[in-house]
Amino acid sequence: MAALGSPALWSAPGRGWSRARLAGRLPGLGSSWPRGPIGVRLLSQEKPAAETHFGFETVSEQEKGGKVYQVFESVAKKYDVMNDMMSLGIHRLWKDLLLWRMHPLPGTQLLDVAGGTGDIAFRFLKYIQAQYKGKQKKQLRAQQNLSWEEIAQKYQSDEDPLGGSRVMVCDINKEMLKVGKKKAQAQGYKTGLAWVLGDAEELPFDDDKFDVYTIAFGIRNVTHIDRALQEAHRVLKPGGRFLCLEFSQVNNPLISRLYDLYSFQVIPVLGEVIAGDWKSYQYLVESIRKFPPQEDFKEMIEDAGFQKVTYESLTSGIVAIHSGFKL
Amino acid sequence: MVTLLRRSLCPVRRLRGRPRPAVDAPLRTASHAGPGLLYPDHIPTSLLQKTLLAAGSAAMALYNPYRHDMVAVLGETTGHRTLKALRDQMRRDPEGAQILQERPRIALSTLDLGKLQSLPEDTFGRQYLRFLDVNRVSPDTRAPTRFVDDEELAYVIQRYREVHDMLHTLLGMPTNILGEIVVKWFEAVQTGLPMCILGALFGPIRLSAQSLQVLVSELIPWAVQSGRRAPCLLNVYYERRWEQPLWALREELGITPPPTDLRGLD
Repeated sequence: MAALGSPALWSAPGRGWSRARLAGRLPGLGSSWPRGPIGVRLLSQEKPAAETHFGFETVSEQEKGGKVYQVFESVAKKYDVMNDMMSLGIHRLWKDLLLWRMHPLPGTQLLDVAGGTGDIAFRFLKYIQAQYKGKQKKQLRAQQNLSWEEIAQKYQSDEDPLGGSRVMVCDINKEMLKVGKKKAQAQGYKTGLAWVLGDAEELPFDDDKFDVYTIAFGIRNVTHIDRALQEAHRVLKPGGRFLCLEFSQVNNPLISRLYDLYSFQVIPVLGEVIAGDWKSYQYLVESIRKFPPQEDFKEMIEDAGFQKVTYESLTSGIVAIHSGFKL
Repeated sequence: MVTLLRRSLCPVRRLRGRPRPAVDAPLRTASHAGPGLLYPDHIPTSLLQKTLLAAGSAAMALYNPYRHDMVAVLGETTGHRTLKALRDQMRRDPEGAQILQERPRIALSTLDLGKLQSLPEDTFGRQYLRFLDVNRVSPDTRAPTRFVDDEELAYVIQRYREVHDMLHTLLGMPTNILGEIVVKWFEAVQTGLPMCILGALFGPIRLSAQSLQVLVSELIPWAVQSGRRAPCLLNVYYERRWEQPLWALREELGITPPPTDLRGLD
């Protein structure tokens, strides 16, 4: 096994967790560069091809993006069905809880990254609309002596039912966005919604633009999680909130055993039977195991500059909601 | 020239403990497989996974008959013992042993389509090509074996799948549901694979009454009879028989022409 030079050669920014997991091999350079007698690699100007994980497999960082893209391209059409099958519908509760924690007020500008099929975006719009309707009802109840003309007028007023709230759904994968757009049409969401193709590590937005940034079940697929967190910090307005819903570490050993059994034995089988795709679902369950546990991820978020970082474990830690503020 | 001996029954169930031949079949596939994998597309699975896969694929295949991949998965997960018997059976036959050694594959890349097309009309090769054209199928649409945990058995089931189209040609059955069921009955008698037996028994659930009637009264008896009369069809080296006239090959294998015309049914 080739001996590594000190990690300082690769100046890992912060506590870049993905760097700490690099394998010890240096592909492509082994034969051309001479080695010293103790096997230490001589200094070179070129950075070696860094490696990272793709599920339990080790791949180069350039490859990972492409492979993840292919996974989501192939699962896009059955994404929602499979989510329901794999989590037995519980993922809906998790996403609802994320919205309740967010508690958006009318006028919120939301950026939903890796939001492909639009689950969070639609829930956001429904939440705002429900709030607006609730407010309307309250107002009317408070004014008991209105004539019917005044009441009809109130209902006909064309103030924006969303109160200026807007959600931008950003995803790196075209297929996922396509499915999301179709869903939006089918469910009748027209206003306040925008679909953007973009990379979480390099968002196509200006600084200080959004009130809330969410990423639900997406950040574990990003090659450089630290970069995605830094981008999140950049595009949020001061006072803005970062929310991440992601699979995390189970804290109960018995449930952990059952969860592992279910993940590795049942989920790929479900993927094969329902979607005809074993390997994508094998990748999905492996990528969950590779994601840092709650505390470590909290530190990564703090490294990116967020403050008041907290997390909440759901369903014994199967998922966790991390929250941080840009102050 | 290998002469095919006639056997009354494919001796599927007789398992003889025969020592492996001194020269193993070329393991060319193993060199491209990843660590722990026996062949390139191998996905190792536990017993629980195989059980779940078998149940799930059976249910899905019934629910959506166009999921051919589910039928394939069912075959792979349930066929281990039968495949071993088939493999031993192939080893005992000279032509079959040759197939096991040389491992021919039937794919568009290995078939010489130009040559097949130039053959006379009544030859097996030309009829096979006609079958592919008329039914608009291609030998490349067969999914590779994934869940069999033995490299040679993986080849045996792959060969069985690739030979499936040949059986269609020999039996004169189209690729609609009725034709597939008839071929399944034939294969069930010939190979004893659980997937074929299940497909033969449960496939007819989706048929119309008229087709069901024809199936039960004429096609099944004919298929079963032909299946019992013919020698093990996995032992036939089809790639060497393109020039043989179809009727001669059918006669050699004891397959009579189909009793009814299936056009217009199902």
